[in-house]
Amino acid sequence: VNRASGSLKRPVGCYYVDIPVMEYRDAWMLQVRLVRARQDGSLDRDIILSLQHPPVYTLGRRGGRDNLKVPDAFLEGRGIQVVQVERGGDITYHGPEQLVVYPIVDLRSARFRVVDFVEALEEIMIRTLGDFGIEASRSPLNRGVWMGAEKIGSVGIAVRHSVSFHGIALNVNTASEAFECINPCGLKGVSMTSMEKLLGDTVPMGRVRRSVRGHVEEILGCPSESIDIEAVHGLLDRGSEKRTREETP
Amino acid sequence: MKEIHELDLPDDIRYAENHEWARVEDGQVKVGISDYAQDQLGQIVFIELPRKGDAFQKGEQFGTVESVKAVSDLYIPIGGEIVGVNEDLDESPELVNEEAYAGGWMIEVKPDNLDAWDTLMDKTAYKKMLEELEE
Repeated sequence: VNRASGSLKRPVGCYYVDIPVMEYRDAWMLQVRLVRARQDGSLDRDIILSLQHPPVYTLGRRGGRDNLKVPDAFLEGRGIQVVQVERGGDITYHGPEQLVVYPIVDLRSARFRVVDFVEALEEIMIRTLGDFGIEASRSPLNRGVWMGAEKIGSVGIAVRHSVSFHGIALNVNTASEAFECINPCGLKGVSMTSMEKLLGDTVPMGRVRRSVRGHVEEILGCPSESIDIEAVHGLLDRGSEKRTREETP
Repeated sequence: MKEIHELDLPDDIRYAENHEWARVEDGQVKVGISDYAQDQLGQIVFIELPRKGDAFQKGEQFGTVESVKAVSDLYIPIGGEIVGVNEDLDESPELVNEEAYAGGWMIEVKPDNLDAWDTLMDKTAYKKMLEELEE
């Protein structure tokens, strides 16, 4: 148990990047660069991206196209992409008014087992929902965060050389129609809910972002420092310059 | 989760930094992941392995292992050509959790040369590395 919370001893905090909206592919490429920088040490601390995506369906490592109930052309006609990625899990939807959080965390330094990290990410969503008076829980059958038989938060990560990426998606005021085109996470007969649906009122995204950040700090055990996206690119560029210098003496 | 003294760490195999193991059998090298690795991952639900005939250099990614909602990369501990793949894992990926060093083996490699063998850790060195990780 303590190995997971051993993270409290971490010497440095983490960077926290609040991004209003970012295209899925851009956020994906950014994560891949950050993972590489975290692995080679040019990024000396974990970094958490908090953002929303324009509408997109993503498929996990094992696919999940079978669980897409409409033809690609139908989606393309609406400007919605379908992207296959390396995270765990099946198909899911991201879109406006859903809060997505990608923690790029060196699990080895943070002392997290992979399985415990997935649970920690669920816990962040459960506590955030608790702040808004929603008592969500885990399901013994499936990962993610649930209100009874309805799912409100999803989780899916990938791990490269002990650095995790991808993360969580919490339905704040997400339009549930978007999920009707798929069997979310490959689960037939599962419907998705949102904070708005449960509370009967729109929930300010800014408040949810702040609540999530507090629980990320608490559960991942890292005080966070805000940086903006330009600063992130600056860190990455300095890192790759350093690599180039080292590779070509 | 398992404490280090509870881990099954055979001494007739070598270990790599990313927790893969390697064992020489008739000049070929069998590869899997250690008891520590399977314990870290949790219940394994899917394993993606290369095809026979594929070739890798030491340290290259040769596959992925999916535990519930998490996909982790696998890195080959010794370079060479894939001459065998454990097809039982298609149907029974849990073998890696249940018997990491026996039925849970993943690939068989015809090594380019066995020089790299000495760069891998023996049980004592691997155990020491794990203790340092846990400190």
